[in-house]
Amino acid sequence: MQPAIFERVVVKNSPVYQYMKVSLVLEHVQTKLTAVELKHLITTGLKSLYGEVGAAFPFDLLTFEEDTLTAVLRVYSRGLVRLWSSLTLLGFFQQQRCAFRVLQVSPYLLSLTGNSRDLTLD
Amino acid sequence: MFSHLEKTPRTLLVCERSHLDHEDARLGRHVEQHSFNHQLSLLVPGCDRLPAELDAALKGMRSFLLVRDLPLARLLEEDFIDQAVHKGSTYGLSYRTRIDEDNCYALLPNGKLVLSVDKDTYEVLGLEGETIAVPAQASRAIRVDLKDKTMSPGGRGHQRVLKALTEHTPLSCDLLLSQHLPGGEGPALQSLLSNHKLSEHRPRVSSRVMTSLPCPTLATSDLQGERRSCDPQSFLEWLGAVDAGVSFEEDRSGGYLSTYQCPQPQTLVDAAVRCGVSGLLLPEDIYSLVDVLRRSVLEPKLAPWLALTVHGFQDSPVSWGTAEHGFLSGGENFYTLVLFQNLDYWICMATGSHDACPP
Repeated sequence: MQPAIFERVVVKNSPVYQYMKVSLVLEHVQTKLTAVELKHLITTGLKSLYGEVGAAFPFDLLTFEEDTLTAVLRVYSRGLVRLWSSLTLLGFFQQQRCAFRVLQVSPYLLSLTGNSRDLTLD
Repeated sequence: MFSHLEKTPRTLLVCERSHLDHEDARLGRHVEQHSFNHQLSLLVPGCDRLPAELDAALKGMRSFLLVRDLPLARLLEEDFIDQAVHKGSTYGLSYRTRIDEDNCYALLPNGKLVLSVDKDTYEVLGLEGETIAVPAQASRAIRVDLKDKTMSPGGRGHQRVLKALTEHTPLSCDLLLSQHLPGGEGPALQSLLSNHKLSEHRPRVSSRVMTSLPCPTLATSDLQGERRSCDPQSFLEWLGAVDAGVSFEEDRSGGYLSTYQCPQPQTLVDAAVRCGVSGLLLPEDIYSLVDVLRRSVLEPKLAPWLALTVHGFQDSPVSWGTAEHGFLSGGENFYTLVLFQNLDYWICMATGSHDACPP
């Protein structure tokens, strides 16, 4: 049996992806939308702010909760600022006011699943 | 065209691999120094239920206290220092305070009291502190060593800090507290703080079973994912996807919603158990859990590997030891421990882009 060794690696680089946890707040709280509609809304916002060329980068809608309208997005790091700014400036969904709340942004998807700010003790 | 908008801060991910019984293994030290743990997620691929011993260990993690409106000066009183700071290890962290907006306080098990305060509070307190290096977080960190000779009750340092916390600006907060007492000696925190409003809470446990889960293939010797394993960042992304409930089934929208897939190389497992525990979790309990995992899962060879992710509090002023930590946009402060059947392990530690490097 080969003897075990100790190995340490420090990975220091610019991350490939960034992950955003966002929540959509609508004027009419009872409005429902699907994941496809949400993605289309975000894509429309990107194009209206940056144009077809500026918005030509992919992003993924990894999860979407219809009850809370909370989603986790994955975007290439080079597109983070453009995506985040277009979410900030998105103001309307089907002629009703809306706002995106960016809850958390991290280069690690794992970090978005352990949010201590959600800890509530009675 | 948008090159000035495309830069993001660099990340630091420290990965180590060794064997649980190796003399140079630093697993114990890493777990011990990560004081404030909010949540642990355990993933065991290849199992559809956890062994009874492991299930009992997860449900039996010690409870913690929430003390409402506790004046910080109480932590400097003689009985608290004698019985909670000098005896055993006491962990304290302010509850529902946001480190990028509010003052945050932490009591470390080595007796250090860390006050992360804004500029105005810092100037009124009049105590020596350091500027925090995290941008967009205009705060100062004051560190008081309660075990130092000058901090013994009646000492010069003690009087100075006590005066700052009682006369200059009386600071108080809701505090999460827990204590590890070797040998079960000494009074409990409840009796020390009985004249404050306090409540005891048990960590919350949840679990679910997943079927037909694609899992990345891991080879113990290939930590950097150059040949037979996927690289650490892809593996951590996959773990996050499992935790977040990302679906690995074929996307009905034809790839419009997401193009994410399990990294290669991969295998399909019939079942996997994912268990989560959240609250204020002590490093001592987590290290005991590693022993239970060894005995109940690895040695009986129930799974080829398992992954234990421990998330620190995002609003903790420290990450490992007394290393500075801030929130910025994500508050990353976690480590993932992968244990293999042959008792080799990997540990991947991550903090925020402007935080101190993990050990």
